[in-house]
Amino acid sequence: MNKLRAWFEMIFGGRSGNLLLALTVSLLILAIFRPGYFTLDNLRVIALNVSSIGIASVGMALLIISGNVDLSIGSIYAAAAVMAAWLALSVSPPLAVLGGVLLGALLGLTNGALVWRIRVSPIIVTLGSFTVIRGMMVVLTHGRSIYGIPEDFFVVGRAVPLGIPTQVWTLVIVAVLAHIVLSRTTIGRYIYAIGTNREASEVAGINIRLFVLILFAVNGLLAALPGVLAASRFGAASIEYGVGFELQVITAVILGGVAFSGGEGSIKGVMLAVAFLGVMNSGLISLGVDPAYTDVVRGAALVASVLIEQLTQERNERFRRTVAMEDWAAQMKEKRTDATIRPRLEPSDH
Amino acid sequence: MSDLNSGQGTKALPLVRCRGITKFFGGVRALARVSFDLWPGEIVGIVGDNGAGKSTLAKVLSGVITPDEGELWFGDVRVHNLTPKKARDLGVEEVYQNLQLCDTLDAPANVMLGQEPVNLSLGPFRFIDQNRAALETRKRLSELGVELRDFKSAVRRLSGGQRQAIAIVRATIRGHRLVIFDEPTAALGVRQREATLNLVKKVASQGVAVIVISHNLDEVFSVCDRIIAMYLGELTLDTPPSQTTRHEVRMYMSGLGPGQAAGEST
Repeated sequence: MNKLRAWFEMIFGGRSGNLLLALTVSLLILAIFRPGYFTLDNLRVIALNVSSIGIASVGMALLIISGNVDLSIGSIYAAAAVMAAWLALSVSPPLAVLGGVLLGALLGLTNGALVWRIRVSPIIVTLGSFTVIRGMMVVLTHGRSIYGIPEDFFVVGRAVPLGIPTQVWTLVIVAVLAHIVLSRTTIGRYIYAIGTNREASEVAGINIRLFVLILFAVNGLLAALPGVLAASRFGAASIEYGVGFELQVITAVILGGVAFSGGEGSIKGVMLAVAFLGVMNSGLISLGVDPAYTDVVRGAALVASVLIEQLTQERNERFRRTVAMEDWAAQMKEKRTDATIRPRLEPSDH
Repeated sequence: MSDLNSGQGTKALPLVRCRGITKFFGGVRALARVSFDLWPGEIVGIVGDNGAGKSTLAKVLSGVITPDEGELWFGDVRVHNLTPKKARDLGVEEVYQNLQLCDTLDAPANVMLGQEPVNLSLGPFRFIDQNRAALETRKRLSELGVELRDFKSAVRRLSGGQRQAIAIVRATIRGHRLVIFDEPTAALGVRQREATLNLVKKVASQGVAVIVISHNLDEVFSVCDRIIAMYLGELTLDTPPSQTTRHEVRMYMSGLGPGQAAGEST
């Protein structure tokens, strides 16, 4: 078992090992009790269902690794959907999509600018913008959903190139690109550095403000993208879109091994968590479990994963303390021999 | 330690010259007409009580504090309005007391932070040459005689001495002119203290000027080529350790040296 874990950890690293284990066990249970679960159609539906959370969780992962967070992404998701749908009433579909996505990036950028300028916890700043954006949407749309969009607009969200929905393609591309940037480029390295020690990053000459601004903008863009795709797929947009979206996304990110304190985590882990959540959601339904339990399991999985992490850390800490104590004891011994063997260099000096 | 002084005669110019550096904080005089030179390969210990101006002096040299008066010369160039960035570009680095490491990153990532070797650039995306980073880190560490087997672990898993070594190695990569150590051994045990002081000597032996800010006179006497004592912002003593005693240095640190206005004696 330990060997297996070590093997998992080699592939996925740290906490992701537990997650992969959980995913494997879930799949095994499903394979035993519901062999019919593993059809291509079913997998496609699962992937489509988690794609929104998946895309947004990439941006959120980058943001949390840098020591920030954005609670307003549910509102951004809805605002982008409504914006794109509204634009689609009068302009060509590509422009409408672009408009929605740009709005998201702009809202994200605004969040970044506020976090940078106000210098309070981003939780508070984005909690404010979360409310403001939804409020503005109600004001501007008078609370009405947007219907009657020309059918050209539906093409993007309903297309299935090579048998895979646009949403899933988008997720794969975004995740792969983010993974490469985060793990192999200086930009990725600095995102970790800023998240783990801001001051040290500043000393090293990293432009922290620029990074924070861009990360918030990217996060806004990646929250808007699934919103726009949803509007296109459903052929409508409602201000009710994306309620609770931010919490689902943050759950996936933290479950995926990203430390909320920043500086740790990987896109691989987050994608694993997204896959796990998707399989768990649909798996419980196909096993005939009351859908209400999916929330229970999702929440419990989050708490369990953080708990396991904490227990491991405490065990390591205990081990380190033991080593440090032994080290200290050895030093004390050394000090005593020093004092007895070495004569005082300057007796006059007290 | 006199062998380390040999560079002094061969180079015509000091690496850094301070002339009449004065700094007021409100009505408080933090530095008063401080002048001294720093030569290549020299370890200068700055001692003084709390509030004597040691840290302020170090911050002037690293560009964090701009002096009200005085001249700063780096080589034959007089530098006005030194900023932290300018100081770094001139090759001044500081090893902070809290080390300023990125705890979740590994040793090469910390050592190379901000100057990663790149093997491919696509616009703003610069791909890190991980092998060269590890190699360079290993080389730097071995130059300073530090053994580090664990290159993949986050540095928070490493011992205090290893963390210190990593911080020092990082400083020496860019600090080709002056490396400032702020209380380098304050938080260390006996063995680690020895190791760190050896590192300080090795850094200096590479031709860099080194400043050690310390409370510990034993340490200063054992490692430094020159001792500078400060008292209430004034430089009261600047001498090789062979020409003085701990007792004399203590007198100068407390304003009781010959020629100083006598304060109240304790």
